[in-house]
Amino acid sequence: MNRAIKDHSWELFIGGMVLLAAVWATSLSPYYLNAEQLLFSSRNLVFTGVMGLGLSLVILTGEMDLSLPSILAVCTVLLSKASAAGLPLPVALAGIVLVALALGAINGFLVAALRLPALAVTLGTMGAYRGLAFIIGSEVGYTGFDGRYKWLGEAKIGASSIPVMLIPFALAVLAFMVIMHFSTFGRRCFAIGNNASAASYSGISVVRTKLGAYMIAALMAALGAWVFIGQFGSARGDNANGVILGIITAVVLGGVDINGGRGTILGVLLSTIFLWTLRNGMGLANIAGPIQQLIIGALLVTGVLASNFMGGRIEFAGPRKKAMTGPSAP
Amino acid sequence: MGDKGGATLARRFSNAVSRNTLRLRVFSVLFSLVALTIVFALTTPNFLNFQNLKVIAFNSALLTIVACAEALVVITRNLDVSVGSIIGLAGFVAAKFAAANPGSGALIVIVAVSIGLLLGLVNGLAVAYGKVPSIVATLGTLAIFRGVTYIVGSGIEVPSGNLPRWMIHGADATLLGMPLVVLLAVAVALILAFLGRGLPILRRVYAVGSNPGAAVFYGLRANRVVLFAFASCGALVGLAAFLYISRVGTITVNLGRDWEMTALAAVVLGGVSTTGGSGSFIGVLFGALILSTIDNGLVLARAPEFWRMFIQGVAIVGAIALDSGIERRIQAIFKHGKG
Repeated sequence: MNRAIKDHSWELFIGGMVLLAAVWATSLSPYYLNAEQLLFSSRNLVFTGVMGLGLSLVILTGEMDLSLPSILAVCTVLLSKASAAGLPLPVALAGIVLVALALGAINGFLVAALRLPALAVTLGTMGAYRGLAFIIGSEVGYTGFDGRYKWLGEAKIGASSIPVMLIPFALAVLAFMVIMHFSTFGRRCFAIGNNASAASYSGISVVRTKLGAYMIAALMAALGAWVFIGQFGSARGDNANGVILGIITAVVLGGVDINGGRGTILGVLLSTIFLWTLRNGMGLANIAGPIQQLIIGALLVTGVLASNFMGGRIEFAGPRKKAMTGPSAP
Repeated sequence: MGDKGGATLARRFSNAVSRNTLRLRVFSVLFSLVALTIVFALTTPNFLNFQNLKVIAFNSALLTIVACAEALVVITRNLDVSVGSIIGLAGFVAAKFAAANPGSGALIVIVAVSIGLLLGLVNGLAVAYGKVPSIVATLGTLAIFRGVTYIVGSGIEVPSGNLPRWMIHGADATLLGMPLVVLLAVAVALILAFLGRGLPILRRVYAVGSNPGAAVFYGLRANRVVLFAFASCGALVGLAAFLYISRVGTITVNLGRDWEMTALAAVVLGGVSTTGGSGSFIGVLFGALILSTIDNGLVLARAPEFWRMFIQGVAIVGAIALDSGIERRIQAIFKHGKG
């Protein structure tokens, strides 16, 4: 029991922060604690949330993917073209899945097979894919989506006010829990993130595993695109522009080590909920966007600082890194 | 005997290659710039005249300074994604100060640079002594600095008409036919490149980025070196912020937004290794020039603006692949030389 608490102390901490944030939001605005309001605003965590799940897997292997929101934009624009051409939804979805997998595979190939630095490479593909989205869709936004395309992003379950999109989100969370913590692939990701060459010597194909992680992450961007077009009813090349920094914040605050090898999906889920709660409360209290960002940024830095200084007491969960030989990198 | 001679020759060759590694990289950057220029010169009629080349140089000047600052941090195997927000805070406060005290002269420069220095120190302390991974720390300060700018701004903007006249005129001033800003940017890159060969602290910046563990074993205080890199990055960005506010029409709290990505792109295009330890400031200068050449050429060719993103992105990936290809080639030669 003690062991379980110690291993998951970061998740417990973030969970506690969610409650604190909710209490704070309630005191900030009388409109916060209302089922309708909460369910309506829960829509805001889904499309970034699914990309956060995908990014966690990539970061777990010690890499980075800045291009996910750009892949989302390519997919929304493609969906708009499919909708305009009158294609049935399953065909359109199959199309964006293939495209997303291909774009993810390009990232994975450049990073894993050619061993190029991930941050720089995906900075490049972030621009290239964003440009591609504009090239496909021109600068004009598309709003004439077929109702069936928008269903996932705008419909509610039966007569309740629960957004349908929470179902794929919940399924994605469950799927990622299985992939990361209960599958061979997930164990390989942890192993590679902890020590890529040791993993390689023990027979794990580093290239194939990283390629897989990038493709799964891109797949989540495609799911995000499907949600996005329903939620906002529009598609344009600049969709989801600039959300990547917020997604990285969620992943890091969720306890995933930015250098790879440690982290849990539960942590990422909790930090996603935490950030959403904060934003929701602050939004209702009419706190301006930049100030919201300031508070979240300060939490990110102090959170990591606190966990560094407290050392043993609040630890990031997941398998520990082996003690490094020699002094650690600055 | 002959075998020994062969080994010596191989060693001499590998030494020559290692000595010229950086030059080789800068050369590949320069080559891309020339190739790009030729393509645009052939496809767009007005590209290759002096006036337009001056525009390109002018547009790349500020980016050169910010990218050189970013390169300092990248060479230590860290990253600063907050430079856009440093431009915002340093620039906005300096503009507000200048508008309130029109007769303050060079004090405005000092205000901008010292705010930049202060913000750089904050980043450096968090990374070097707080042990926060640099991308996480500066991601946080990206939001924090922008938020503070917003609070300082309290909803107002500073029109450039409120700035002292000398700032506005200074932005357009030329020396020997070249804009002062361009000369300043080139000077920053050249000085850093020159000092990088001899100045101990800059040598340490390279050493720490190249192998942090070994640097510590050799007695280098890696923490201080990283702090120095972040602080001087901040100060340089503060200088760029000062130059920036004298050029834009209205100084808003959004000043410098998204500059971190462009600066990183210039750094990467310039052949600075994102895994630290290598890179030349002359390369960064060329990297910034490449970005503004692409911008300018596409505008003249009347290509839609979004092609820029695509081409820039592909160019970044291409540059990284090229760099890593060169690096691996050199390593292969080393291995061969040793065996």
